[in-house]
Amino acid sequence: MRDDWLREDRLPHIYCAGCGNGTIMNCVLEAVEKTGWDQKKTIFISGIGCSSRAPGYILTDSLHTTHGRAIAFATGVKMANPSLHVVVFTGDGDLAAIGGNHFIHACRRNIDITVVCMNNHIYGMTGGQGSPTTPIGKTSTTTPYGADEAPFDLAELAMAAGANYVARWTSFHVKQLTDSVLTGLNTPGFSLIEVRCQCPTSYGRRNKYREPVDYMTYLKSHAVLKEKWERSAAPGTELPVDSFLVGEFVRRQRPVMGVPDEA
Amino acid sequence: MKLEIDESRCKGCNLCTMVCPYKIYRPGSRPNRRGIYVPDLDQPERCPNCRLQGLYGRRLCGVCALICPDQAIRWVPEKPFEPMKVVIEY
Repeated sequence: MRDDWLREDRLPHIYCAGCGNGTIMNCVLEAVEKTGWDQKKTIFISGIGCSSRAPGYILTDSLHTTHGRAIAFATGVKMANPSLHVVVFTGDGDLAAIGGNHFIHACRRNIDITVVCMNNHIYGMTGGQGSPTTPIGKTSTTTPYGADEAPFDLAELAMAAGANYVARWTSFHVKQLTDSVLTGLNTPGFSLIEVRCQCPTSYGRRNKYREPVDYMTYLKSHAVLKEKWERSAAPGTELPVDSFLVGEFVRRQRPVMGVPDEA
Repeated sequence: MKLEIDESRCKGCNLCTMVCPYKIYRPGSRPNRRGIYVPDLDQPERCPNCRLQGLYGRRLCGVCALICPDQAIRWVPEKPFEPMKVVIEY
C-alpha cells in the first residue's frame, strides 16, 4: 500500500488544510507502488517551494535542492547511475520561472526522468507572488490589479521542446492522474505531468476561491477533456475563456538519454 | 473493510464530502481537541469498497483516500463475521 512509502513519523505534513499537493503526492505514490520499484532504487528530487517539500515525507532517498535546479540535479543523478529511477516533484515557479532553461533542455535531451509539476498558479510558500502561470486577470501580491501577462502553458512548452510523454490533469481527477503518472514512469525518456491544483491560502484567498472545495468545483467544471474537445468541437473554434484542456497530450518514441543498457 | 478517518492527521478541508459519490462523509459539526471539524461518517456501510472488495478481489473506487491531502482516510480490515454458538439453557 501507499503507507509503506510514507514517513509516518513526519506526518501530518505542513501543507495548509485543503492543499492540493498532498493529493498529488498520494497519486504519485500510488503509481510508484504499482510499478513495483525497489525503494532503494528510487529517488525523489525537488527544488524549493511548497510542492518541493513532498520528498521529505517519502521513505526513499531524496534530494532537496536549490531553487529551480531540481531537474539539473536529477540529470546528474540519472547520468551518474542510470539504473536509478528518478522522479522530480516541482512547482510552477520552480519549473517555469527560475528553472525554465533546465526544463526545456531536459526535454530536448530527453533524459529518462519523470517530472510532476504541481501547478498552483502562484508562489505559495513565499506569500503569494505572481508566477509565470498566473492566469490573466488574477490577483496576487505582485499583481494587485490583476495579472496582465500571458501565462505559460507548460504542457505545450514541453511538447514543443521534445518531451516523450506529456499529460495534464488536475487534483480533482485523481484516478486519471494516477494512471497518467504510471504511464509516465514506464515511458523511457522525459515525461512531464502537469497537475493543476488548488492553493486556498495564497491563490484562493485573493481570487474568490477561499474554500478548497470552491477551487475543486472550478477545476471540475472548467477542465475539458482533450480527446472529447477534438472530437466534438468544430474546427477553428477556440476554447472558452478560463477553460483548459486536460488529458494526454503526446506520447512518442524520440531518442532518449540515460536509459541503462540492459533495459 | 471499514473506513477510518485518522483524527490526528485530518485538517478539516472537507474535500472528501465533495468527491464521495455515495455522500458517506458529512461536514463535521463539533470541533475536536485540536479545534478541527473532522467530517462525520454517515452510514459508512454504503461504501462500495467496504461492501464489495472481497467479491471483486481488488480495490474499488477509493477516490476519498486518494484525494485526502492529509493521508487521513484509510480502510482497516475487519474480522470476518463469526457465528456464535448459543447455548440454550432450559
